[in-house]
Amino acid sequence: MGSMFIELFGKRLRNPVMNASGTLGYGKEIERLWKISLLGAFVTKGLSIEPYRGNPQPRICELGYGLLNRVGLQNIGIKRFLAEYIEFFEKRKTPIIINIFGFTEEEYIECAKAIGNHSIVLAIEINLSCPNIKEGGILFGKDPEAIRRIIKGTKSVTNIPLICKLSQEVTDIIEIARCAYEAGADGLTLINTIPGATFDRGRFIRGGVSGPFLKSFALKAIHDCANSVPIPIIGVGGIMNVEDAMSFLLAGAKAIQVGTATFLDPNAIPKIIKGLRKKMKRS
Amino acid sequence: MRDMEGKILENVEIIEDHFILTAEVKGRIGDVTPGQFLMVRIDGINVFLRRPFTIYDVDGRTFSIMYKVRGHGTRILSQVKKGQKMYFLGPLGNGFSLKERDLYVVVAGGIGIAGVNLLVKRIGKRVKLFYGTSSSNGVSLLRDLLSYDPIISTMDGSSGYKGDVVSCLSDSFQNFTGMDIEIMACGPNEMYRSLRKALSKFSFPCQVLYEEKMACGMGLCFGCVVETKDNTDPLKRVCFDGPVFSLWDLCL
Repeated sequence: MGSMFIELFGKRLRNPVMNASGTLGYGKEIERLWKISLLGAFVTKGLSIEPYRGNPQPRICELGYGLLNRVGLQNIGIKRFLAEYIEFFEKRKTPIIINIFGFTEEEYIECAKAIGNHSIVLAIEINLSCPNIKEGGILFGKDPEAIRRIIKGTKSVTNIPLICKLSQEVTDIIEIARCAYEAGADGLTLINTIPGATFDRGRFIRGGVSGPFLKSFALKAIHDCANSVPIPIIGVGGIMNVEDAMSFLLAGAKAIQVGTATFLDPNAIPKIIKGLRKKMKRS
Repeated sequence: MRDMEGKILENVEIIEDHFILTAEVKGRIGDVTPGQFLMVRIDGINVFLRRPFTIYDVDGRTFSIMYKVRGHGTRILSQVKKGQKMYFLGPLGNGFSLKERDLYVVVAGGIGIAGVNLLVKRIGKRVKLFYGTSSSNGVSLLRDLLSYDPIISTMDGSSGYKGDVVSCLSDSFQNFTGMDIEIMACGPNEMYRSLRKALSKFSFPCQVLYEEKMACGMGLCFGCVVETKDNTDPLKRVCFDGPVFSLWDLCL
């Protein structure tokens, strides 16, 4: 019988399936339908050093073929998350990846420092799709120098493995991936939502676009980066079913994350895990 | 709560662009609190997300939703045929909470009647229903609640009181003095704002069913938040912490 186990950053995960950051709340909500311990690892919502309000309404726009969101990273802050939720994951023996963001380089480092030591924390995933308010609002993910400084800064305050979540909206994602690797990143998550815009009842709305159409962009980014850097890649973007998940693994992803699919079918993740198990048994 | 597979029994237009869809699900629906909702999967071209609808009525394995065609998703929903298979996630959210009051005053505006139909039926005798709509045509939406002697108001005066439902209600406040009453409402935000103004001199408790666009319907995405007066967590998820809130807690 084929095994679903994978090894990531020296730890054994029961399967390669995770949720994408921000698509499974704080983790407790989904337990009305299925156990969080089904996951290979749980990825938190983006957390900041201080609680953050996010954007006013509207936050959600239906595109017909996907979803445009401008939730804007609303969260309770890293300290409250640790105080209120870590035990929940420890009890369920579910490794977690803590997704962090900031609006200055210092905020990322503060966040990493605040995490401290918890054996249940598998890795830190840094969300680089935030505007650097000290540098005129350029996204950190588009600025190789800023990425380098954030990675080096975070590595200097924590021993927890560091994953960089990259946006494909850059001139050359391979260059960004190499830069992250050389600065000391232990893994990459590819890709984030793609920035887009739509008209919502006559209003021009910008946001991150997600949905199955992301798949081809994600697959290309994963394949390009897997052939360029020797660190594990977590693939995400438009995975709707087990066939999609398989194609991401074949393209070079070590693990995968499921996001928007959960909104259409809240059982998408258990279905994908079950499907993978079947395929592994056959092989 | 689960993702229920259901077969459409009927999908009928009551008045122009207002429908009631009835479906029978496999297995149990479970206990439904009035005000709870379902995330309905609508299969059609250019419909991506599910859509939330309050449970209009429920009986065993059969339930219904009342909806108004407002955009592309509800247009496709209105074309669903008898016998079709659909998926309904729910029951979701926190509905109206009922205590032992002398009287429940239920206030609904327009398609808001869809949110309180089950509530009125559950309360039974101790209910006074105020319904406001634009013209007498809209009164047909009260079809299942006529036996509760609703007080009707229309903006054009073509049926009942002439004016909005909150003004109509305000004229009746003297009848409630000394009674242990609670107000339950469902309608547009504009109606909630005028309700708050009208009620400000009184200390009546008031629960309202709040509407917001949703992506997941179960607290995962933080897309449907509404601002409240809670100091610790002012932004509440309508799908998870609501959709029923105290009118006095909301920042409208």
